[in-house]
Parts: sequence; structure tokens; C-alpha cells
Amino acid sequence: MAKSMLLVCRQSPWSGSGAREALDIALAGGAFDLPVSLLFLDDGVLQLATAQQAAAVQQKDLSANLRALPMFGVDELYVDQRSLDARGLSAEALDLPVTPLDDAALRTLLDRFDLLVTL
Amino acid sequence: MTTLHLLSHSPVGDDRFDSCLRLLGSRDGVLLTGDATYALRGDSLPARELAALPKGFPLFALDEDLHARGLSAPAHCTVVDYPGFVELCGRFDKVNGWL
Amino acid sequence: MSSIDVEGRSIALDKDGYLVRLDDWSPAVAAALAEREGLALQTAHWEILDLLRAFYAEFQLSPATRPLIKYVALKLGPEKGNSLHLNHLFQGTPAKLAAKLAGLPKPSNCL
Repeated sequence: MAKSMLLVCRQSPWSGSGAREALDIALAGGAFDLPVSLLFLDDGVLQLATAQQAAAVQQKDLSANLRALPMFGVDELYVDQRSLDARGLSAEALDLPVTPLDDAALRTLLDRFDLLVTL
Repeated sequence: MTTLHLLSHSPVGDDRFDSCLRLLGSRDGVLLTGDATYALRGDSLPARELAALPKGFPLFALDEDLHARGLSAPAHCTVVDYPGFVELCGRFDKVNGWL
Repeated sequence: MSSIDVEGRSIALDKDGYLVRLDDWSPAVAAALAEREGLALQTAHWEILDLLRAFYAEFQLSPATRPLIKYVALKLGPEKGNSLHLNHLFQGTPAKLAAKLAGLPKPSNCL
């Protein structure tokens, strides 16, 4: 049985390579049928905001790539409600379907996985 | 499962420290290295938050990083060297490095 | 780097035979690329190439084998979205070869 992994994505899409690296891990894991899930935390929730235009700064379209996660078998996507609140985002108006969790649910989530990778 | 949270960024002006403390599990531990050891500084807000953790909470700090910053650890924090760091990583089920 | 001539135009290819400029693609380019691989494109190939181009338009990346199978199954049904059918059409390496013929970048999460 492969070890389950939770990727904790904490970086904004525009702050450097962290967001992209986390996505690449998720896609590679999914391509090999590994049990990978994602949690968006802190500035990482900004990856889920709508209407972002990567082409304006000559970057690859992270939003479109994130929408491919279910095709790669990465279906469990979670987001920290408090991080959303602090940044004026609503869980109902994000770029892809994610499950918002409160602090208690997040503690249970982090406990459940064999491996945590925070980027 | 038990998790050792590894912090290395300054607790001030960065979300890592706050998010880590907010999401700590009841059996987790925290190891402060690098600029995260500033969280032990005197009467600072992060130091007060660490002091407010439950009694006996597994809190550790890396000796040389403390020393380099002219800091000393309070009684509720265990100071470890690098071999101690490695031993700690094996003592918990998993390690979460807040990169 | 190499190139192929299609309808009087020289099309640049990378060392693995993928298009250097993705907007060089046309059905005639796909047919010429397929010929280099010893493949004559039939209707069954074209419907997969069309799907791959739709996948890329939607997600901005080339699928590895598993997501390709999943996407084809979703759009065309399980009788076409399975590894047997896709391997048969694309010489056993559907993610790589079909991406090449559809004018997509080489899939990065694919051995």
C-alpha cells in the first residue's frame, strides 16, 4: 500500500516557484496513481482565485493546470477557511471545487496522512 | 499519528508560525531552527504564545541557531544539537518541514 | 533540432520530434508527423488527437497516460478510453506519440 501524502500549498501563484513545484508533485503523484491530496493554506489559497491572467506576466497558466488535478486522479482538494476569510475569498467563488475546513477539521486532516509536504 | 513540525522562518511577518500553532495536533511537537528561534526571544508575542502551550508540550530549539542569535531557551523548551535533531525526527511518525 | 516540410513550409521540431512552435500545427502537419512514425492516421486516431487538443486548450498541459485514458473515457466512453485501444492506435505509447501528433508539448509527468 502506497503511503498517502498531503501537499500543503502555502505560496501565492506569483511569489516564486513554490506553487508550481507543489502542483508538479501532485501531477506526478497522480500520474502514478499515488494517493495525493492537496491543502491550500495561507497565501496558497490565492492560487484558487478566479480571473487570474498568467499570460500578463509571461507565466504558465497555473489556474488551468490546477483544474487538471481531477483528471490526474487528485480529487481530494481542501482549503483553510480562515486563510480564505483573511484574504476576502469565498469558498463558493473559487476557480475549482475545494472543501473548506475549519481548524478542528484541519487538525484531523493533517493527522490522517502518512506524509506531509509543505511548500 | 504524531508530527514534528519543523520551523525555520522568523515568527514575525510570516504566516508559518501562526498557522503551525493553530493547526497543532494534541500529540505533535515543534522544533525551532534558524530564524524561527527568534520565537523564544524575551517578552515577544511569539514567545508568549509558546509559553501558553499545554504544560509538557514537546518544544525544541536547535542549540547553535539559538547561540548564534544570542538567545537562550526558557525552561519549557528543550535545546538539542544536530544528533538530537536527527533523533527527534525518528521519534515522531512524520516530519512536516514548513519550507 | 530538425524540421519537416509540409505544404511548402518548413516546420521546426525538437530533438524528440515535437513541434518547437505549437501554433505550427495543422492537420497536414499531424499527417506528416504520423508518416515519420510509420502511421497512417484514421478516423479513430483523429478523434483522439482532437480530444488531446481540447485537453490542452482546457488545462494547458499534456496529459500523462492515466489522465489521457480518463479524459477519453469521459468524452468518448470506456470502450475507447482504455489502455488497450489507445496503445493499439499509438504504438504502445499513447501519451507521448499522440501528444506529438496533436502538436502538444512532450508530457512531463510520463516515463
